[in-house]
Amino acid sequence: MPYPIKLNLPSPSLYIFEEKKLLSKSPSMPMAASYLPAVQQTNVRGRSRDNSSIPSTPALSLSPSITASYEDNALSEDDENNCLVYPITPPTSEQIFTTVHTEFGHCTNEVYRCVSKHDYTKPFEEQTMEEPPYYIVFATHISLFILHLLGHMRDFFGKRFAKSYFAHLVPQNGYAPLNTNFDSFFTRRLRGRMTDCLCQPVTGVPGRTIVILDRHSIDNNYTQTYTGGKTRALNISSYNYLGFSQGGGCCSDAVKESIRRYGVSNCGTRLEGGSSELHVSAEALVARFVGTEDALISSMGFATNSTFIPALVGKGSLIISDELNHASIRIGARQSGAYIRIFKHNDMSSLESLLREVISQGQPKTHRAWKKVLVIVEGLYSMEGTVLNLPKIVELKQIYKFHLYIDEAHSIGALGPRGRGVTDYFNIPPSSIDVLMGTFTKSFGAAGGYIAGPKSLIDCLRLRGHSCPYAEAIAPPVLVQIVASMASIMGVVSAPRPTNSTFSLSPVGSIVTPRDKTKELLGMVPASSLPTWMNLPPALADGSEARARIRRLAFNSRYLHAGLKKLGFIIYGHSFSPIVPLLIFNPGKLPTFVRMMRSYSPPIVVVVVAYPATPFETARARFCPSASHTKEDIDIVLRACDEVGEILDLKHGSGERWESTRSASVPWSLCTL
Amino acid sequence: MDSSTSVALEPVLSFLAFSLSKLESGFYRIPGSAVVARYVKSSHQNDPGRTILELILVIFAIRTLLQSRTRTDRSGKHFIKFSEKEIDELVDEWVPEPLAQPLSEWEQRDLSSVPVISGPNGPKPKLLATGKIVTNLASFNFAGLAGNEKVKERALETLQKYGLGSCGPPGFYGTIDVHLDLEREIAGFLGTEASILYSQGFSTISSVIPAFCKRGDIIVADRSVNFAIQKGILISRSTVRWFDHNDLKSLEDTLVSVEKERKKRKGPLTRRFIITEGIFERDGEMVDLPKLVELKLKYKYRLILDESISFGTMGRTGRGLTELYNVSAPEIDMLVGSVANGLCSAGGFCAGSSIVVDHQQRINGTSFVFSASMPALLATSGSEAITFLRNNPSVLLNLQDNIRAIRAVLEKTEGITLLGHRASPIIHFCLRTQQQSLAVTQPTYDYEAEERILQDIVDDSIANGVLLTRAKHLRGQEMVESRPTIRIAATAALSRKEVEKAAGVVKASVTRILSKRR
Repeated sequence: MPYPIKLNLPSPSLYIFEEKKLLSKSPSMPMAASYLPAVQQTNVRGRSRDNSSIPSTPALSLSPSITASYEDNALSEDDENNCLVYPITPPTSEQIFTTVHTEFGHCTNEVYRCVSKHDYTKPFEEQTMEEPPYYIVFATHISLFILHLLGHMRDFFGKRFAKSYFAHLVPQNGYAPLNTNFDSFFTRRLRGRMTDCLCQPVTGVPGRTIVILDRHSIDNNYTQTYTGGKTRALNISSYNYLGFSQGGGCCSDAVKESIRRYGVSNCGTRLEGGSSELHVSAEALVARFVGTEDALISSMGFATNSTFIPALVGKGSLIISDELNHASIRIGARQSGAYIRIFKHNDMSSLESLLREVISQGQPKTHRAWKKVLVIVEGLYSMEGTVLNLPKIVELKQIYKFHLYIDEAHSIGALGPRGRGVTDYFNIPPSSIDVLMGTFTKSFGAAGGYIAGPKSLIDCLRLRGHSCPYAEAIAPPVLVQIVASMASIMGVVSAPRPTNSTFSLSPVGSIVTPRDKTKELLGMVPASSLPTWMNLPPALADGSEARARIRRLAFNSRYLHAGLKKLGFIIYGHSFSPIVPLLIFNPGKLPTFVRMMRSYSPPIVVVVVAYPATPFETARARFCPSASHTKEDIDIVLRACDEVGEILDLKHGSGERWESTRSASVPWSLCTL
Repeated sequence: MDSSTSVALEPVLSFLAFSLSKLESGFYRIPGSAVVARYVKSSHQNDPGRTILELILVIFAIRTLLQSRTRTDRSGKHFIKFSEKEIDELVDEWVPEPLAQPLSEWEQRDLSSVPVISGPNGPKPKLLATGKIVTNLASFNFAGLAGNEKVKERALETLQKYGLGSCGPPGFYGTIDVHLDLEREIAGFLGTEASILYSQGFSTISSVIPAFCKRGDIIVADRSVNFAIQKGILISRSTVRWFDHNDLKSLEDTLVSVEKERKKRKGPLTRRFIITEGIFERDGEMVDLPKLVELKLKYKYRLILDESISFGTMGRTGRGLTELYNVSAPEIDMLVGSVANGLCSAGGFCAGSSIVVDHQQRINGTSFVFSASMPALLATSGSEAITFLRNNPSVLLNLQDNIRAIRAVLEKTEGITLLGHRASPIIHFCLRTQQQSLAVTQPTYDYEAEERILQDIVDDSIANGVLLTRAKHLRGQEMVESRPTIRIAATAALSRKEVEKAAGVVKASVTRILSKRR
C-alpha cells in the first residue's frame, strides 16, 4: 500500500522567518494535505497493536512513524496547530521514529547537534548580568511605585467599604488573621492580578508539547473558571531536559513492567522496612553514573537538600552559600544550626575574600577555629542559567581546604559531553568534590534526588540524614524510570552475569558488583547491575539514543540562547545552559508576555518569575529548551519572542544583533560561533 | 597689568554670570523649586554655621542610605585585623574536621541490619539477604493496599497518558489535572473545603507550619511530637510553649498561662496555634480529639493536627480521628495527613478552608512551591486508594481485629511493656523496667544497651519468619529522647490466624533473647 509521502531528506530551512509563511500555509499545501490522512492511518494501525512492538527493520516497514498522540490525550486539533502534532517535513520511509512527535520531536538532521564542553583554551565565560538602559529601570520603578500606591489605596478603602474581600486579613472573633495585609501585599496586588498566567493546570505528558486546561476569569482573576476546553501548546517551560518524559516507548515500558512487578509503593521508610532491591541497585547505578564511590536516593528533590545538609554540618561549623542558592539549600542550612555566610553570586573573588576572612577570624566572638567550612553552590542556577566556575572553586578548595557541596539539580544530565553534569562539562574528576547532590525531576523525567560521595560519608548520611528514618522511601516505578533513563545515558554492556551474586547487595556493601576496568573507562554499565527483567530497546541500551539527546539539548540551548541575544533581548546565563532567562524587568509586562505567547499561533507556554523568586526589578521569563524540541520549535519560539518583544519593547540588549529580523541570516550556524 | 588681567578675565566672568543666571532661571522653572529656595534662605539666616550643619545632616542621611543593609562582621567589635601574610599562615594552619565522622561499630551493625526486600513489598515479602519469605509486621500497609491490582491498573493507565515525572514545580506547569482531582477527592473524603498536595509526606508538615506561623506567633505543642513537626516549628521562629505528652490538662494550663502573660504585657493579638498529632508516631498514643477541639475553641487557637498515622487507618472508612470521634473536619483548621502511609502511595496533604489552602500554602508552602509536584501515577494511585477505602469499610474492621490479636498476644509476654492506644495501628513496645514513662528527662535506662537487646529481638524474629523493625530515631537530634522501642505496624492484608502466629513468633523471640540475657 503506497503512501503519498515525499521521499527526500528533510532539508534544514535556513531562514527562520521564511517558515512562517510555510507554516500558515501548510494545511493547504498539497503535500501536507496528502500527508495527513496517511499519518492518521498509521495511527489507527499503531493503536491497534501493542505499542512496544515497533518494527525494528526499517526497510520493510511502511509506517513512517508514530506521529500523533494516544487516543486519550488526542485533541481535536485545529489546523493551525498542526505543526505541534505533525512534523513540518514529513518523514521518509527510511526514517523510523519510536517517539510520539508531540512528546519528543522528530529531528534527523545531524547538523542540529552540538556538544557541551568547556574549552580550556579560552578563559571561563564570564556570565555578566547585563544592565538595561536607564529609562527601563526608571519605568520599572515607577510602575512598582504605582502598584504600591494603588494597592495600598485599594487596601485602605477596601477594608472600610468592601469588608467581605478582606475578612481573612482582619482579626475575627478573637482570632488574629492568618496573614496580615502587609505580608500578603505582593501576593494580592501583583501575583493576584496575573493568576491566569501562573499555576496553569495541565494534562497529559509534559513533553515537547503540553495540553493546558483552558480557563478564564470573570472577576479580575479572583477566581478562575474552567471552560472544559483544552489547548495543545509548545512546551518550553518544563524541566524535561533530555526529553525522558514520555507516555509510551522508551523508559515507560520498563516502568510499566515495574508497576506490574512491584506495585506503586514501598510502604515505609528506608530504615524501617521500606528498602527494596531496586533501591540498592539504583543507588549503585547513580554512584557509577556520577562517578563517586557511593550514593543514596531520597524521595523528594527539595528534601534531599533540606534533610541531608543538617546531617553534614552543625554547631561550630560554617556554611558559605551563594546568594542565589535554591530555597531548599537555605532551609537545610537554617535547620543545621551552623553559622551561615553569603557570597556574591558566582563571584570567586568575593568567595575568596570571604574565605580568608572567616578562616582567619574563626568563630564569632570565641575566635575558635571552625570545625568545618562547607561551601554550597549550584552547578547551574535555576533562575539565572549561570554555570558554576568549577575550575576556580576547585583551585580555591585546594588552598583553603573547605568542603564543597554542589547541587546539580539542573546540571546533571544536561551539561557535559556525556551528560554527567558540571564536572563532566569542565572535565574535572568528581572525586575532587566532597558532596554531589542532584535531582531526578529534570533530566531523567522522574522524581526525587540523590547525594553522591565517598562511601564513608554516604553511610553516615544513611543513618543520620532526616529522610532515612522518617520519610517514605522512593516509589518503585520512579526508581525504575531513574534506572532506565540513567542506564540509557551510560549505555549497557552485556557482560556475562555473575552466577548468583547479582543481588547479594545490602545497603552497606552496595557497590560490591565487580567492576570491569575497561568498561568503567567508557562509563558504560554492565547489564548485571540492572534488574534482570529490564529489557531496554536496542537504541537505548547502546546509549546512542541518549547521546543524541544530549547533543540535541546542547544544540537547542545554545541556539535559543544565541538566537534571543541576536534578536536583541537581554539574556542571562551561560550559552550552554538549558535555562534561558529573558529579562522583562517591568512587572506589568509579565502577564502580557505570557498571554501573548499563549495566544500566538501555535500557542507557547512560558514561565515568568518575579519577586520573591527574583529581585524586584529583574522580573524575567524563563525558557527551558529540551532535547525533545526540534530546531523548528526553537525557531517558532524565536519568532514569537521577536514579535512579542517588539510590541512590549523588550529588546535592550547590547552587542551584535540581526539588523532587521526579517533579513536572511543563517541561524543554525550560530551554534558553531 | 592689573587692567589687562581684568580685561582678559572679562569674557570669563560674563560667561560665569550668564550661566549663573541661566542656572538660576532654570532652577526656578523646576516645579517646587521656590519652596526649596525659601527653605534654604530661611535656614541660612546669615549664619554659615547653620547651613554647614544642614549640609552635614544631608551628607549623613545620604551615607546611611547608601550603606549596605547587611551587617558585616568586618565592622564588628570582635574583628581582628590581620595582615595578608598572617591570614595566609592561619589558612595554612587550619585543619578542618572530616565531613563525616566514621560510623561506630554499633552504627555499622545498625545499618547492615536494615532489611532489604526482594520483589514487591506486601504482607508476605521475600527478603533479599536470606531469600526467605517473611510475614511483614514492619511496613506501613495498614489497609492492605500494597500490590492492589486496581491500583496497579490505574497507575498503568496513568503512565500511558501522563508519563512518569511531572517535570516541574506546581507553579511552572507542574500542576496536572490528576493532582487537582486527588486534592478534591481528599477534601471531599474528609469534608473540608479544600486540600493541597505535597510530594513527600515527611516534608508536608514541616512546610505547613512555617507557612502560617511567623516570628512573634505563639505555638503550643506537645512535647513528644514527631521529628517533622519539630523541624517545622524550628523554621517558623515562633514562640513555642510545650505541654506534657498527650496531657490535655497540661495543655489547658499552658493555654491559660499564655493568655495571662499576654494580658500582662498587653501585647497585640497574635496568631496562636496548637500543634499535636492524632496518633503519635513515637508511641502510638491517641489524642482525645473532642476535648482538644473544645479547648482550642475556648481559647481561640488554631489547631494543626498531624494525622499521618491515623488517616487511612482510623474510623469506619479511614477518614481518621474526625470520623472516629465524629468531629466535623472543618473544626480542625489545618488537617495534615499522609498519602504515603494511609493510602500506600506517596506524598502528603493539608486539608482545611480555602483560605488556609489556596491563599496561604499555594504561595507560602516552601516545599510545595519550590519542589516538583508528585508523579501523576502516584496521585491517581492515591485516588484509587480513597475509592477502595470508601467501598471496603470491612478492611478497617479486619485491621482492628488484627490489632487486638497482636496486642492480646504481646500483653501476655514477659519483660516488655506495650505502649500506646488500644486501637492504634502502630504498636510500640519497650523493655520493662521500673520506670514506665516513655519520655523522661533523666533517662534511668541505658539507651544503647536497650537498643542492642531490641535489635537482637528483631534479628531473631526475622530469622523465625516475622519482619520487625525498631522505631528508628535520630539520636541527639530529637528534642526529647524517647525510649528505644520496637514498632509493629498492623495490616489488614493478613488474616487473624496469620497475625496471631506472627505475634506468637515475636513473643517467642522476646522470651528467648531476654532469658539469654539473664
